[in-house]
Amino acid sequence: MQRFRRSALLMFAAGTVVLAAACGSGGSSTTTVTAGGGKSSASSKVLTGAGSTLVYPLVSQWEPDYATKAGVTITYGAIGSGGGIDQITARAVDFGASDAPLSADQATACKGCLQIPWALGATVVTYNVKGVPNNLHLTGPVVADMYLGNITSWNDPKIKALNPGVSLPSTKVTPIYRSDGSGDSFVFSSYLSAVSPDFKSKIGASTQPPFSTGTGAAKNSGVAASVQSTDGAIGYVAISYIAADGLNQALIQNAAGKYVTPGVDGIKAAADAVTSVQPDGSIPLVNPPASAATAYPLSTYTYAIVPKSSPKAAELKAFLTYAITDGQQFGPDLGFPPLPSAVVSSDKTEIASIS
Amino acid sequence: MSTQVDTDIALPPRSRFHIGDLSLRLVSGLAAVSVFVVLVLIAYKVIDQASAAISAFGLGFLTSTEWNAVTDQFGAADLIWGTVVTSAFALILAVPIAIAIGLFLSELAPRRLRAPVGALVELLAAIPSVVLGLWGILVMGPFLEQHVEPFLSDHFGFIPLFSGTPSNVGVLPACLVLTIMVVPIVASISRELFDSVPGDLKQGSMALGSTRWEMVRSVAIPQVSGGLVAAVILGLARALGEAIAVSQVIGNSLARPSSIFGSADTLASRIANQYQGAATPLQASSLAYLAVILLVFSLVANMSAQLIVRRIRRRMGV
Repeated sequence: MQRFRRSALLMFAAGTVVLAAACGSGGSSTTTVTAGGGKSSASSKVLTGAGSTLVYPLVSQWEPDYATKAGVTITYGAIGSGGGIDQITARAVDFGASDAPLSADQATACKGCLQIPWALGATVVTYNVKGVPNNLHLTGPVVADMYLGNITSWNDPKIKALNPGVSLPSTKVTPIYRSDGSGDSFVFSSYLSAVSPDFKSKIGASTQPPFSTGTGAAKNSGVAASVQSTDGAIGYVAISYIAADGLNQALIQNAAGKYVTPGVDGIKAAADAVTSVQPDGSIPLVNPPASAATAYPLSTYTYAIVPKSSPKAAELKAFLTYAITDGQQFGPDLGFPPLPSAVVSSDKTEIASIS
Repeated sequence: MSTQVDTDIALPPRSRFHIGDLSLRLVSGLAAVSVFVVLVLIAYKVIDQASAAISAFGLGFLTSTEWNAVTDQFGAADLIWGTVVTSAFALILAVPIAIAIGLFLSELAPRRLRAPVGALVELLAAIPSVVLGLWGILVMGPFLEQHVEPFLSDHFGFIPLFSGTPSNVGVLPACLVLTIMVVPIVASISRELFDSVPGDLKQGSMALGSTRWEMVRSVAIPQVSGGLVAAVILGLARALGEAIAVSQVIGNSLARPSSIFGSADTLASRIANQYQGAATPLQASSLAYLAVILLVFSLVANMSAQLIVRRIRRRMGV
């Protein structure tokens, strides 16, 4: 009996060793797979990133293309802009991605991070009201009033005035917002702060605006689902979710007084109108000037956030250069207009400073 | 009884080296110690993370209703309210149902039914909370909005808690989802408790002319009351800490609603929603402060359960 126990223990120990060895070899085999092919000069062939869900469709096109072209595997986790900033601040990834530029606090915490505008996107106001057709006309101040609780029913005279000929029911307005930190919340609240002094003083621009009325939902998919299941809902999502989930889109009046359909043309017009880069590397696009008559007012740059000094500087520089040049070709089909050339050249200067 | 422990036939001498005994002692000892170590490490880390918020807001955090990432002002009052209301409501609904299930399975059900119904109740506990939350979104929420909440506001609308516009998310769906999660825990424990009541006690009571209800009321329930309290507290702990299912159905509102139809939020749900991607360092720290509050809640719940159990045991002379 004693001998049996001892041998059982030995077998257990041996099993543990074998298991550990198996895990070890499993790990190393993964490394060989990812490192296979391409140039042999680079010490590491994997770049990891995390963040924005808005830019994810584009990044997922870059992943296979860049693997064939440069032999570097890009692993990207679409965990949301706020999460991306956390991850790069902790240096848990090689690059982060965010639709909102770093706040002053976040920039300090990130200890020497660059924010490089690498794609263009937009946030779209969506709604679900029984009997109301797609492409409802709204203005920034009216949307702000809905999120402030000043407009509580869909047949409010302010909404009626913008939509002559549309029969609006008295359904209660239910604002839906993001319950997690979100680049879309930032774009949305920045825009409303720009056009409504009331919104600016009561709520303000943030990745987590303190909305006082309505219902929160997690991620773009949560907001989309919540809007779809709530009669009288108004919400905001990244542009790609409108088509993907078959949501209604509201046309928001721009500074020139035009109701612009959210899309590649409207975003491009906004990007062409605003090319001055802020000292922190961001380019705020919301509410572009009236001179851009066809500009969509809730357009945004989405940023790659990278440390100025990275152990993978060479790979990172090569990948970012690819993203803002060759990588842009995948954009238009997915709803991302190509970057204006002025932005590409200022990006290149920033990328060159990584070491 | 022999005192000769040093003979070969009786127990082997303690001094002899036994790899089996030694490893058993080592493994089980380490396992026991690791629980304590993990608990202390978690508490330390959470308090450490929360220290910035604790020094910034102090105890005022507990009474402030502000949660504003723009002005960097945070307070937990609305979340404590949401947590207490949803958990309390869930317990009020769940405990009578669960004890009734336990009684039914132990005393009243035909023998053939006991095993399958018992297994079904335990299966309910095995449903992952995220699945339950999904069911809450897709099925229960719309049902409450279209049928239950209009009925409540029509007939009980004079009570402020039942007034307001029906909604498919809010406090009421969260309470009901929690109720569903609490019932199987309390039910399966109370069933075992009732099973443990000695048969001669029950039969004695019946022989003295009690009805079944009198037997349950005067023999079975007093006999197991300590255990029932512990079961309820276990259910409470489950309700307090549930994050995912609640955040799916409660509406994650930043403000306190005026009725149970409105959106609210709880401590656990807010942490799950906002920890990743906090806008400011102080917000991240405030979320850790929420975790501290939650830890204290569960600790107090568990300790009071043990106290109650001990007091009842002493009173009953067990």
